[in-house]
Amino acid sequence: MIHRGALIRMVVIAVVAAVIASLVAVLIRWLPESASEEMDRITFVYWFATIISIGIFALVAAVIIEAVWAFRVQPDDDTDGPPIHGNTKLEIAWTIVPAILVISIGVVSAIVLSKNANAGSDPLEVKVFAQQFAWKFEYPGKVQTDELVMPLHRSVKFEMQSADVIHSLWIPQMGQKQDVVPGITTKIVITPTRTGNFTLICTELCGLGHATMRAPVRVLDQAAFKRWLDEQRAAGAGAAAGGGAAAGGASGGKSGGGSAAAGDAALGKTTFASAGCGGCHTFKPAGTDAQVGPDLDNLVADAKKAGEPEDQYIEQSIVDPDAVIVSGYQPGVMPTTFGKTLSPAELSGLVAFLSGKEAN
Amino acid sequence: MTSTLDQHSQHDVQQGHPAPRRRGIFMRPGYLRALWVTPLFFLIGMYIVVAIRALAGWDPVYDWEYIVLIAGMVTAPIGFLLGIGAFDYWLYWISGRPTLVDDHANHGAYSWKDYFKVNTDHKVIGIQYLVTTFFFFTVGGFLAMLFRAELAEPGMQFFDTQTFNGLVSAHATLMIFVFIIPAFAGIANFALPLMIGAPDMAFPRLNALSFWMLPVAGTLFLASFLAPGGAFATGWTSYAPLASEQPFGQVFFNMGVQWAGASSIATALNFLVTIITMRAPGMTFWRMPLLVWANFTTSLLVVIATPFIAGSQFFVMFDRVMHTSFFTPDNGGYVLGYQHIFWFYSHPAVYIMVLPGFGIISEVISVFSRKPIFGYRLMAVSLIGILVLAFSVWAHHMFVAGMADWLRIPMMISTLLIAVPTGIKVFSWLATLWEGKIHLNTPMLFALGFISTFVIGGLSGVYLAAVPIDIHASDTYFIVAHIHYVLFGGSVFTIFAGLYYWFPKMTGRMYDERLGKLHFWTTFVAFNVTFFPMHWVGLDGMPRRVADYAGTYGALNMVISIASFVLGASVVVFAYNVITSWARGPIAGSNPWRAMTIEWQVSSPPPVFNFDEIPQVVGGPYEYGVPGARHAVLKGGALQEAHT
Repeated sequence: MIHRGALIRMVVIAVVAAVIASLVAVLIRWLPESASEEMDRITFVYWFATIISIGIFALVAAVIIEAVWAFRVQPDDDTDGPPIHGNTKLEIAWTIVPAILVISIGVVSAIVLSKNANAGSDPLEVKVFAQQFAWKFEYPGKVQTDELVMPLHRSVKFEMQSADVIHSLWIPQMGQKQDVVPGITTKIVITPTRTGNFTLICTELCGLGHATMRAPVRVLDQAAFKRWLDEQRAAGAGAAAGGGAAAGGASGGKSGGGSAAAGDAALGKTTFASAGCGGCHTFKPAGTDAQVGPDLDNLVADAKKAGEPEDQYIEQSIVDPDAVIVSGYQPGVMPTTFGKTLSPAELSGLVAFLSGKEAN
Repeated sequence: MTSTLDQHSQHDVQQGHPAPRRRGIFMRPGYLRALWVTPLFFLIGMYIVVAIRALAGWDPVYDWEYIVLIAGMVTAPIGFLLGIGAFDYWLYWISGRPTLVDDHANHGAYSWKDYFKVNTDHKVIGIQYLVTTFFFFTVGGFLAMLFRAELAEPGMQFFDTQTFNGLVSAHATLMIFVFIIPAFAGIANFALPLMIGAPDMAFPRLNALSFWMLPVAGTLFLASFLAPGGAFATGWTSYAPLASEQPFGQVFFNMGVQWAGASSIATALNFLVTIITMRAPGMTFWRMPLLVWANFTTSLLVVIATPFIAGSQFFVMFDRVMHTSFFTPDNGGYVLGYQHIFWFYSHPAVYIMVLPGFGIISEVISVFSRKPIFGYRLMAVSLIGILVLAFSVWAHHMFVAGMADWLRIPMMISTLLIAVPTGIKVFSWLATLWEGKIHLNTPMLFALGFISTFVIGGLSGVYLAAVPIDIHASDTYFIVAHIHYVLFGGSVFTIFAGLYYWFPKMTGRMYDERLGKLHFWTTFVAFNVTFFPMHWVGLDGMPRRVADYAGTYGALNMVISIASFVLGASVVVFAYNVITSWARGPIAGSNPWRAMTIEWQVSSPPPVFNFDEIPQVVGGPYEYGVPGARHAVLKGGALQEAHT
């Protein structure tokens, strides 16, 4: 059925197509340089699937190109092709062979999946709290940070919760991804394999600030990590949270002490950053310039318009944002969960910071 | 327009029957009546809401969100359908007034104006579907170009993020619900009854109603841009609980889907009954053209799956307007339940959007290769295989969603296995090409283009089925690339193939082949340049549905944006070709492609009632090259053309 010339030509086309596809696969760096054990394994599955895919693509491309080349006729050719209705052996072959190939991908994937879910014997447990549009991380000992810091070559087991809608945690170089779902706790394991700075990205559309919902990630070697964690613990247990701002914005958790206005405002400044206010609002003292929500530099004038004392107006607007809507903006846009997610100290700090009481 | 015009125009006056009294211009079915019935029904809905709120003592009595929901999205559309006359026959019958069982007053098109009225002719409805869906295709494409302009450079240029999210969501929603799904319904509406030798669909009035619900759905989707807070902005997937907390525009999506879904279900039932009960004598299931097989399986998918998305959207909306807790974490709601129900429809929906295309490609490949379809029975059986497997793969959209871990492996295996029947189809098309007499007309170019792009989309689907890779690639631009290779390189290419293939049958005129080829090549090249790089930026770390992104992806996004504008421009070539050829293209003749299926054995365009006498089917549909073979024998005025 297949002439020898056609067969040779088709093999040549298939080889050329496979070479081109392989070059595209190799010369372009498709995946980011791996930074975790899990990503190493994902990369392996990726290449396994790629080799099979290149084979299938080359076969299809060769048949289409050869068919159009060899069997194309002039528009005025009225003849028909041979009435071949099928070939049972061939049809069985192209049912069985692809089934074997895809099942082999399935087996490799299942093995990798179970390895990637295994946190080993001594994982570091980190709690993740997501909310529109900010990330928070909690290390053993109630150390809360806005920055994710991970130790090299030690599995980090994340336990994640969301305060409002679904978010998703992803550090591209580390491959692993997991949605953070309100109402349940989800888990994921990442084992970093190189030090450096990365970015954690929210990949589940979570509202208007979705594109800005990111957090810095650092991988430190184990000694440096231990030092960092000890510093955080000291800062959190001891002095005012103001010191934490320099160390990457640790909010100091529920600081019972600082009731003075100045201390509040400093906590307010870190809260402004950690709660993601800058994702939507312009506020010069915080250096943000987003224009989704009202400009917070105009709070004094807006409070006057609403006929409320400034502090009360600000607190109400955080806790119950739809109570008063600045003209030109819409209700229902700003999350209504801040009353629940912010501690009383953070809230009063935020009010102090926003009402212009000195932050530094 | 047709030779049968004189004979059938008499139906307009309905001689010999107790004709209903001729009504005044504002009482006749049509736009003028819709013009006053629609507002009237809006007021009815509005005062139902107001009355309930006043009686219950709720403040404010005039709550515009509830008024727009009930009056604007439920009663006013019913008023519109009533006004244009979609319910007239049934209402006459219910109220005991004289009706005519075989009333053909609204059947067939005798002038272009008839295409703008409620019409019961499947051919008219098919063209109504195609023109309407093409309108939404251009609007959806325009929205895509707006947000591609925003994405051409990192940073924010033209829109705020909420508007951007709205554009992305509306683009996908228009393309899926009021372009691809109904465009296939349009092609099948036109071709399917002719192909099985039926005079029309089983339920012509229901068919008309199905069509007229579509503009309602599309209008609701577009009207959401006028809502306070902007259009629905949660993607076409509209995940809870975000969707129940978003501004009011979200409800336009919830309700628009209901109208599109109702239209879809009614059409699918109509196809099923038509295929099962109205095949011409001799048209056994194993003699049905594969387009008919494809629409049979698609309709089963629609009927079984669509109620699930309808339910999911109602529940999300109830969480908002009735403060229920179907999908909210408080009060025992089940957040992931939304995704399970949504994808139980929306994964089969991918096959709803591609199986009819498989049918079109089978017709085109066979005719333009002048060969029988290789392995016809396995082709039909593989459709059934896809139909069954399609209901066992939904959770592969949820590998990172936080669902039960054990579900991942079985869902991965079934997802990988569904590649097997899909592969069977591709290999059978390739074998059909082999040793054929290949004619590279525009439908064939789109068919071959479809196979090459769909293979890439299928292979990227295998990557995504493999759970570890999916965990990395989920919710990135890799997904965007994959769905466009499947739904554009797949579905849209097949729609174009079908439109060029049946254009001479629909219009009686031939399109311009040179413009057709220009359209194909610009589409094919611009498509690949637009969507192939998306695999790369996605795997490298760019998430989907973001208005702003890391600067390192700037150059590729600029390339993607420019190519997307070229892709948009290619549609202009198509529109120009269709419009000018429809107006003054060369007369096509009844069977320009020398095809065997029955629709090509009648005049172009076909007579209003399709056949003077029901055809007798005597053989398979693709017996090219078999000496003396016939698919069907037509008598009584139909064309007698010999096949060699």
